[in-house]
Amino acid sequence: MPALFLSGALAGCANIPPSVSDYGPVTSPLELVNTPFYPQERFQCGPAALMTVLTASGVNTTLDAVSSKVYVPGREGSLQSEMLAAARAAERVPYVLVPELASITAELATGRPVVVLQNLGVSWAPQWHYAVVVGVDIDRDEMILRSGTDERRVTRTPVFLRTWKRSDFWAVSVLRPGELPANADRDRYVEAVAGLEQTGHALAARDAWQAGLSRWPDDEVVLFGLANTEYALGNYSNAEQNYREILRNDNSSLIAYNNLAMTLLALGRNEEALDQIDVALTLAKGSPLLGELQDTRNIIFGTSTE
Amino acid sequence: MRSIMVRNFVIRLFSVSLVSLSLAQASGAAMISTQQAMQSEARDARIAQVSAILAREDVAKQLVAFGVDPLAVQSRVNNMTDAELLALQGKLDEQVAGGDALALIGAVFLVLLILEVVGVTDIFKRV
Repeated sequence: MPALFLSGALAGCANIPPSVSDYGPVTSPLELVNTPFYPQERFQCGPAALMTVLTASGVNTTLDAVSSKVYVPGREGSLQSEMLAAARAAERVPYVLVPELASITAELATGRPVVVLQNLGVSWAPQWHYAVVVGVDIDRDEMILRSGTDERRVTRTPVFLRTWKRSDFWAVSVLRPGELPANADRDRYVEAVAGLEQTGHALAARDAWQAGLSRWPDDEVVLFGLANTEYALGNYSNAEQNYREILRNDNSSLIAYNNLAMTLLALGRNEEALDQIDVALTLAKGSPLLGELQDTRNIIFGTSTE
Repeated sequence: MRSIMVRNFVIRLFSVSLVSLSLAQASGAAMISTQQAMQSEARDARIAQVSAILAREDVAKQLVAFGVDPLAVQSRVNNMTDAELLALQGKLDEQVAGGDALALIGAVFLVLLILEVVGVTDIFKRV
C-alpha cells in the first residue's frame, strides 16, 4: 500500500515539459547576492517574500506594514491576489510571469529577484510557501532562494520545479513603473498595468503604459490606457493627442471617439466634443456601445446649454 | 433583542447606501475605462463592474471574518482588480494561502520523509 501511494505521488510530479524546465537565456551561474533578506516569522512567508522584492525594487517600507496588507490570520497565510494588490499599493507593477523557468532566469539576468509560490508538500498534505528566487547555478542544476528563515536556500532544480509546478508555476516580478519585464508578454503586461490603473494608481500606470508603448507602438489598448491615465491625471491635452492617434490608426474606434469627446469637453471645447460624438453615433448602429455614446452626448449637450 | 434588530437594520442600511453610492459612481461615468476596452462587449464590462462592487463588499467581510483588521480591509480590497474580487467572492476559504501551515497526521510524517528523500517534497531542512 505505501509503495502504491509512493509511485502514484511520483508519477504525478514527473511530467514537466522541457519547454518549462529550460534555463533560457542564462548560460552561466547567476546570483543576485545583494538581494536583501527578511527571515520570516511563523506563517509569514508571504510578507517576507514580498518585502524582499519590494525592497529590491526601491520601495521603502517595513515588514509589519507589508504584513498588514497581505496576511490573513484566519488562513495562517497570504492570498496570491493580495500579494499582487500589495505591490500595487506600493506603486509597483506586479507582473505574473509566463509559467516557465526561462522567465525567472530572464528576470534574474536583468537584476530582478522573483517571488514564487511553491507547494513544498504534496497535494494530499500541502504546504504552500512563498519564496524569492535570487539565483541559478546551471552547472550544478540548482536554484538559490531567500526562503523562510534560510538566507540562502539551495534547492536542486528538479525538486524546485516539482514544488513550483503545484502552483501552476506562479511567479511574480515587481516592476518599477516604466520598467518592462525581460520576456514581456503583451497580454500579461497589459493585464498588469490595467490592474494598476483600475485600482487608482494613475501616475504609476501612466509611466507603465508609456513603457508598453515603446515596446508595442501601435497597440490600441496600450494607447487607450495611456490616454485614459492622462485624462485621469488631468493632462487633457496629452489625452487628446493619444485618442487622436488611435483614431488615425482606426477611424472607427467608438471608444476613442467617446473618450476624445469627454476630453474636449474637459478642455472647454464643447462644439468639437459634440462633433466627435456625432461622428461616433453615425458609426454606432447596432453597437452595444450605443447607449454609452448617447449618455456622453447628453452630458456634453447638457453642459453646453447650461 | 430589539436592540440587535435595530443594529442589524442600521448596518444593512449603511451597507445598502455604500453599495448604491458605488453603483451611482459606476453608471454615471461617461468615460470608457481601459478594462472595458479590453472586453469585447461593453455591456458585459458594465455588468462585471457592477458585480465587482458587490464582490468587494463580500471579500471585505470575509477578510474581517478571517481576522483581518477592519481598519485595513478597505484599502486592501481597493487594491484588488474587479477580476480578482470576483474570483475571491464567496470562496476565500478555498483559495490557496501561502503560509507554511502543514497538518501532519501521524503516519503521514513517515511517508513525507520518504518523499523528501526521493525529491518529491522539500519540507524538511537538510534531510
